[in-house]
Amino acid sequence: MSKPQGSNVKERAKSALKDEFLIDAVKFTTEKLKNGKKAATEEHGNWEEWRERGRLIRAHTISHLDYYLSKFIENARAQGVHVHFAPEAKDAARIAIEIAKHRGAKSVVKSKSMVSEEVHINEAFEELGIESIESDLGEYIIQLANEPPSHIIIPAIHKNRYQIADLLSKEAGETLPPETKILAGFARRKLRDKFLEADIGLTGCNFGIAETGSVVIFENEGNARMVSTVPKTQITLMGMERLIPSWDDLEVMATLLPRSATGQKLTVYMSGITGPRREHDGDGPEEMHIIIVDNGRSLQLGDPEFQELLNCIRCGACLNACPVYRHIGGHSYPGTYSGPIGAVLTPALNKNTQEWHDVANASSLCGACYEACPVKIPLHDMLVYLRNRKVERGYTASGEKMAMKGFKMLMGSHKLFRKAVKAGQIGQKLLVRDGYIRSQIGPLKGWTAYRHIPALPKRSFREQWPGLSAEIEKSIQPMSGEMELRMEEIVQARRKGGGHA
Amino acid sequence: MSKSDPEFLSKLSRESQAAEKLFIGNIATRLGRSAISPAPEHPFRGAPEFWTSYELGREEQIARFMGNWQAAGGFTERLATMSDLPGVIARILREQNAGSMIRQNLTELEQLGLEEQLPELRHAAWDGLDAEDSLRTAEQADAGIVLADFAVAYTGSIVVTSSTDKGRSVSLLPNILIAVIPADRMHTRLGEVMSRIASVPGEQFPAGVHFISGPSRSSDIENDLTIGVHGPGVAFALIVG
Repeated sequence: MSKPQGSNVKERAKSALKDEFLIDAVKFTTEKLKNGKKAATEEHGNWEEWRERGRLIRAHTISHLDYYLSKFIENARAQGVHVHFAPEAKDAARIAIEIAKHRGAKSVVKSKSMVSEEVHINEAFEELGIESIESDLGEYIIQLANEPPSHIIIPAIHKNRYQIADLLSKEAGETLPPETKILAGFARRKLRDKFLEADIGLTGCNFGIAETGSVVIFENEGNARMVSTVPKTQITLMGMERLIPSWDDLEVMATLLPRSATGQKLTVYMSGITGPRREHDGDGPEEMHIIIVDNGRSLQLGDPEFQELLNCIRCGACLNACPVYRHIGGHSYPGTYSGPIGAVLTPALNKNTQEWHDVANASSLCGACYEACPVKIPLHDMLVYLRNRKVERGYTASGEKMAMKGFKMLMGSHKLFRKAVKAGQIGQKLLVRDGYIRSQIGPLKGWTAYRHIPALPKRSFREQWPGLSAEIEKSIQPMSGEMELRMEEIVQARRKGGGHA
Repeated sequence: MSKSDPEFLSKLSRESQAAEKLFIGNIATRLGRSAISPAPEHPFRGAPEFWTSYELGREEQIARFMGNWQAAGGFTERLATMSDLPGVIARILREQNAGSMIRQNLTELEQLGLEEQLPELRHAAWDGLDAEDSLRTAEQADAGIVLADFAVAYTGSIVVTSSTDKGRSVSLLPNILIAVIPADRMHTRLGEVMSRIASVPGEQFPAGVHFISGPSRSSDIENDLTIGVHGPGVAFALIVG
């Protein structure tokens, strides 16, 4: 089985959990990335100060996005870039196709771009008979498998070398052994030809630098450099929030992003591309287009609960830290982005609380994502806001609604509560064995399928309280006068808002 | 066809100008402004203050750089003067069984006289005026030789920028990369290089600025590290001085 199937997160997770390789691979790799990050941040030191600086820079840029985006556009145009605007995903595809058609393009080589996944650019090109090839090794593998990425940084995290050997063997027309070196070597030769043939190179963008109109790309393989060096035309897809004000700020992002993503001090390549090639450069694109994509991003602006989502630098650290992602893998999430960031970003970009609500529930709200985030986005709080909106807009399942009504009634009246406990103590008698309920009938199954419910005791805490309180009264020793005085002083100090002892 | 026809581009340009107003206008509105924000104060620019005073001495810089470059899977050598370079480069290219090389078209590299040192090799220098031929030569070359514009000790990175004489392909297409780094181009922090890049005036600003921190790599197959995917798999950093 390659890709978990199902219409909601529960079904997809169930299907993923049956795939033992997927579970092991995701756990192994996320653990490795997590440890790499831990080692790299400890070695670098002062990580909290760097995180806070990263947060401040991103928050500042987003709150003045109109200014910085305008500056970026002005400076990019001054260097000869053709800038385009895509309010929606379909606009980005339309513009890219218009350029490709005009260029008479037969083939496009792509480096990694999450935005291009959002706008389904490969499908758009292929409809026109234009070959569109992913050149990042992981992206190439999942393109051959016809699957979406299941991790922001390691897109083929869910595939093992045997599956990859099968996919590449089909491409090669001969059987390739399942050895990493040989498989990667085949991809290198095959894609080298594609780079040299391609009419258009399509890249993503990690950061746009407002002060010079530069596009900055982080990568390890060199494929993004190939895509932006060899083809005559370059198209860059950029999320409208990717900006930072200056090269000085890039130092902070370059400190945070690779360490958080893979534990590297810096990716092997960090390229700043500023306009097409200069007149006599000899390589680099002769024509450069940047398509700036909104696709739901602007909906977060001015929204106090979700604006910070736009601070995200797409490092994937929250995926590696998330106990849910680590168990169910990326394909259990709907949409392009998975893990905690995907759980919030997908419904936010789609402005569609109803359809995606199940993902917001697939979280224990433990906050590991926030702890891992290099720009301190409170993702766990956002998951609560999402759930809240779902309830406010009346998208709660009718069973849950009824249960909540019942809970409210029960908790609002001590008489009713007492009666309910009594009824439970009697009713459970059929189900209790050795002090636990193991039965999986009816609504109990959701819990008892994985663990036992302790039985209600014969006498509830409320029923025991009169006896308990009398015992406590008896056992209390009078406090020594000295201690009482000290306690009194502390209480007084706190009341005045003073410092602690 | 190397460039789109002007009519098509001016159509795109008109569409872009019209779309920009709505696009940026929408952002300003969402942020609660009726017009685009004027240039804001940016009090958090760049690295935290405690970091900007972090400095290493020259020897520490070089040791740190070499440690990082090696940890990334690259090779390093330290040379006393530029006159030691030809012998070292010749030795490396022979060891690597290189049959051809391309270098940036820079006086410092030309003066090495590698043609005489290695008569058995095919030699070429990048020539932006002969773009197609240079690209083909770089694609077929076994080794690319570059002079780093800068190097950063803390991250183990070299920086190369593009120009007529310095094709991006030289540090990218051949499987062997040899980077020459004069010690006085070494800096401690990334930020020192960032500010130098940012201060280049717009009309002289290079189209490609590339930070390179070792050989090309990938961990996309079962998280198993592979060296030399797309970019050079063998990366030498030769520090001079």
